[in-house]
Amino acid sequence: MSPANGNPAAIAIRNVSKRFGSFTAVDNVDISVPQGAFLVLVGPSGCGKSTLLRMLAGLETPSEGEMAFMGRIVSDGTRGLVADAGARDAGLVFQSYALWPHMTVAGNIEWPLKVAKWSKADRAARVDEVLGLLGIAALKERYPAEISGGQQQRVAIARTIGPKPNILLFDEPLSNLDAKLRIEMRSELMRIHRATGATSVYVTHDQVEAMTMASHVAVLNNGKVEQFGAPLELLENPRTTFVATFLGTPPANLIEVNKSGDGLVYDGLRLADASRAEAQDGVQLLYRAHDLMVGDVEGRPTISARFEEAAPIAGRTMVTAFSNGQRLTAMADGYFRAAIGDQISLSFVNGPSAVFAMSGERIS
Amino acid sequence: MSVVATSVLSRRGFLRSETLVPIILILIVGILVIAPLVKIVLSTLTVEGRDAWQAVLASKMSENLWWRPLWNTVLLGVGVAAGCILIGGFLAWLVMLTDVPAPRTIGLLATMPFMIPSFAAALAWGALFRNSRLGGSVGFFEANGYIVPDWLAWGLVPTLIVLIAHYYSLAFTVISAALSSIGADLVEAAQVAGARRSRIFFGIILPVVTPALIAAASLTFAGAVSNFAAPALLGLPVRMQTLSTRLFGMIETGQTERGFVIALLLIVVSASFLWLGERLVAGRKNFVTVTGKGGRTKRFPLGKWRWPLFAVAVLLCLLTTFLPALILTASSFALQNGSLFSNWTTHFWIGEGGTDMAQGQAGIFRNPVLIEALWMTLKLAVTVAVTTMALGLALAHTIARNKGTVLATVLGQVSFTPILIPSIAFAAAYIALFGAPIGPLPSLYGTFLLLVLAASAHLLPYAVQSGRSVLGQISADIEESARLTGAGFFRRMGAIIMPLAIRGLLAGALLVFVKIVRDLSLVVLLFTSTSPVLSMLAYRYAAEGFMQFANAITMVILVLCVVATLLAHRLQNRVQKWKSA
Repeated sequence: MSPANGNPAAIAIRNVSKRFGSFTAVDNVDISVPQGAFLVLVGPSGCGKSTLLRMLAGLETPSEGEMAFMGRIVSDGTRGLVADAGARDAGLVFQSYALWPHMTVAGNIEWPLKVAKWSKADRAARVDEVLGLLGIAALKERYPAEISGGQQQRVAIARTIGPKPNILLFDEPLSNLDAKLRIEMRSELMRIHRATGATSVYVTHDQVEAMTMASHVAVLNNGKVEQFGAPLELLENPRTTFVATFLGTPPANLIEVNKSGDGLVYDGLRLADASRAEAQDGVQLLYRAHDLMVGDVEGRPTISARFEEAAPIAGRTMVTAFSNGQRLTAMADGYFRAAIGDQISLSFVNGPSAVFAMSGERIS
Repeated sequence: MSVVATSVLSRRGFLRSETLVPIILILIVGILVIAPLVKIVLSTLTVEGRDAWQAVLASKMSENLWWRPLWNTVLLGVGVAAGCILIGGFLAWLVMLTDVPAPRTIGLLATMPFMIPSFAAALAWGALFRNSRLGGSVGFFEANGYIVPDWLAWGLVPTLIVLIAHYYSLAFTVISAALSSIGADLVEAAQVAGARRSRIFFGIILPVVTPALIAAASLTFAGAVSNFAAPALLGLPVRMQTLSTRLFGMIETGQTERGFVIALLLIVVSASFLWLGERLVAGRKNFVTVTGKGGRTKRFPLGKWRWPLFAVAVLLCLLTTFLPALILTASSFALQNGSLFSNWTTHFWIGEGGTDMAQGQAGIFRNPVLIEALWMTLKLAVTVAVTTMALGLALAHTIARNKGTVLATVLGQVSFTPILIPSIAFAAAYIALFGAPIGPLPSLYGTFLLLVLAASAHLLPYAVQSGRSVLGQISADIEESARLTGAGFFRRMGAIIMPLAIRGLLAGALLVFVKIVRDLSLVVLLFTSTSPVLSMLAYRYAAEGFMQFANAITMVILVLCVVATLLAHRLQNRVQKWKSA
């Protein structure tokens, strides 16, 4: 599991499972990332991503498997917690921020340093440093209840990076912010990640955050890692239909087809060569939105669909339409308008980018 | 890969203490709550016990021992519940939903009666309405030439009025809490739908607060049923018995088993009504409105009724708080009730003994028994406040930590059991368990320890509830984020948990203090001359006809209670420097 260069991984999660009674929240997760990586754990709610993060923080003990930071075992399913939450050189930014309400902004940042036995002068210098880094020096003497949500978020981050932890953990930190602030804080977080040089683990249900921030992405579903790799790798080579449909904007289309003669056929229309389905009779074809264009295209298969809605994106239009009860997302050049219920034609301008078995695994 | 396991902080040692604490708590609540109840049941299953059951339920005496007291008890309970809902509900509606002037002041006044002991109002009633039927000095009205009929001086009617005057503030608190959850949005949505005022009231507001009305009714019912002071002072002299006075009488006269039987029956009566209320509310709890943005409430304009209704509300509050206090104060200085405001003397407070006044007795502050009782009461109240808050916090924490487990459920249920048990019956159960030596342990009857144990057990539900609300203000995240810094348990407690919890704990402890200082029905059975308390002393004086002494002591209790309550109020409501105003 060690990377090729021989250095131990900054974070290694080895066959970790977590069970609550008969419920398995995290199921045999096995991933590791090098120093300085930005690992994003993404998945729908209840997929086990927060539980995994809490185990990394040392707030929960794995039922099985072990976790190591820089080669040092910190959690062990058989021995319990090896290093307590405070002794792992890791900081956690809570979704609720969890600021201590009875301490000022400066007090919140300083207290962990006090616990870590920093000298008074060092503490003062560090507090000013992180306040400056996050641009909140003016709020120093305020109490958490007196500042806005976005500012509280910055204080929570400042407090976490104060003791210079080697590992930064984020639990859906942007989910309580409004859309504009969220984009702002996203770049802010990236900047802080680079500035601190720490290895970060970031939990979110927002695939856009995963795609924009991550160096490594782990897509979780039902406690299992569906796929782990670089964001573009996951986008281009999804291993399952879950990953294929969960990642990417606009969402990709999955079309069920049947083998008929030497072709794969959807609603009487031949879309691809039967050889791509290998031995299967029915398969699912993955088409990106930009592989499906509004209007007829000479020599390409075309279907008719009922128009539902259109959203302009960067000079083009994303069109949603229904065909046989299936929602399809296609693109149109320029701005496209139609009345709801209009029949429009959609052309498959490219072949399917991937073929999946009906059970969801990738075939070709 | 090499395993460099530094900072080996094994969880095993921790685990042991984590399972040990719940076991200790189970033992404590078991001894405090379950053991006395089991013991009192067992005591009525002996040969003497079975005779007692027969005597109470199926003999010539049962009319007097059980049916008549039961009838009086239920009548009082129902009457008090109805009266409290009416008055408490009216005041809550006025304060929470209308544009009545000075709603906060009315709100504060309406919570006052519950701060003062219920026997304060009963004594004040006597000072005004006592008639010549029993001899001795008469009340203000009769002394001034008015004839006070028996039904107004003694028995059911005055007891009912005095109890309503005491318990309506409990109903007010419960109902106004429910009304405050009705957001303006809810009412405005109905207005937008075209509903008129009456329609909104009966269609929206009433259904939403129905659970609170039922809860208030069953709580005030249970309170009235288990009250001892008012029926004892106003009913006993004319032989009006309730179950609680019967129970007291049986144990006082040494008919212990019969007393235990009546105690069990009283528990059944009180608990079944509380259970009934709970059942009625159970299915409806869920539609207590859950909106993110509470706080803004809709106030209906009262129009020309604004000032008249304000006057009614203030009058109600003054009649039930300031008037009793005023009468008691005046009476403790007056030579006789006929002239409450003239010929004042300080004899009953600080007079020397051996004069021809008050059969030669000294004023209360020269009476060594009273001074001892004062210290004993303070000692008891402080001890119980500390023990219950510590126990309540530990229980609430353990229950929250182990949520969903059998352990937490059992702990929760057992610690809330005392709520179902009238305090006088609880005291009887304590006599059953600790009245005789248990193995090598000596009998605890008459000891300070027994009072502490019984009072702590009785207040356990309240303590767990305040422990919960204190902990509820501190989210798990806040403690976990402190844990992540590496701060140890005591460091986290000292720097994070305590600063956030201390005010809530102090306020809770102060209210426990008040509940002990003003309590009579619990101590009336456990009291002996070696452990005198103020409320019992006041009751004794009143029973012997030394009204001025009783009234003076009651005023001392009243002042203690009001000061402590206001202090608790301040602690809870004072804007903390880190909270935005």
